[in-house]
Amino acid sequence: MEDPRNRQYTNDEITVFWKPAKCVHATTCFRELIEVFNPGRRPWVDMSAASTQRIIEVTDKCPTDAIVWKYNKDLSENELQASTSTSEEVNPETLSTDPETKPAKVTIMKDGPIVVEGEFKVIDSNGNELKSMIMTSFCRCGGSHSMPYCDGRHRKIGFNDKK
Amino acid sequence: MKEKSAQFRVIENKSLEVSGSFEIFNAKGELLKSEGPIYLCRCGLSENKPFCDGKHKNSGFTG
Ligand code: FES
Ligand code: FES
Repeated sequence: MEDPRNRQYTNDEITVFWKPAKCVHATTCFRELIEVFNPGRRPWVDMSAASTQRIIEVTDKCPTDAIVWKYNKDLSENELQASTSTSEEVNPETLSTDPETKPAKVTIMKDGPIVVEGEFKVIDSNGNELKSMIMTSFCRCGGSHSMPYCDGRHRKIGFNDKK
Repeated sequence: MKEKSAQFRVIENKSLEVSGSFEIFNAKGELLKSEGPIYLCRCGLSENKPFCDGKHKNSGFTG
């Protein structure tokens, strides 16, 4: 049976399918194209934020086919219908992982954000605890417009670890 | 005893405090630290990246 958590996202040329069950948090999609694939946002995929060509390029790099794409003209009847339905949004952040507490894995990306995976919580600058997440990326360049999360601006402003 | 899960506290106009159970790696996959609390730079100006060295002060950094 179709996994009810599956989602699809569309622009006028292509549709990207996301299958959470296949997602192993390789982080390829949002390391390369956080403008489109941003786990800190809902819906987490914004098909208007890059060219179709670029979205295809990055989608093709997903190592587990958790994201795949099709030309809209090749969609089946069912897939077409699913494109227009709206249902509750899940994203890589809210997927459950193994129950055991493992240390959260924090990776400092070169010239980019702080990527966090695993079990952890986030306290905002007002002391409020935000919902637990499975994955997120914090801005490290000082330039994001959606603080404290990375929105891809580190590339535009040429953030460099050496400086 | 089970270790406390990791906690990330956003300090206004300053760093990100990391505590609890975590491991920090650089982009090459080398382990940098696993004991907290530690403070990661969010303003982009530290000369000791990825850690905060106080350079956010008087820099006008907000967030
Ligand atoms: S690190 Fe990505 S926007 Fe700052
Ligand atoms: S946040 Fe303190 S030096 Fe950048």
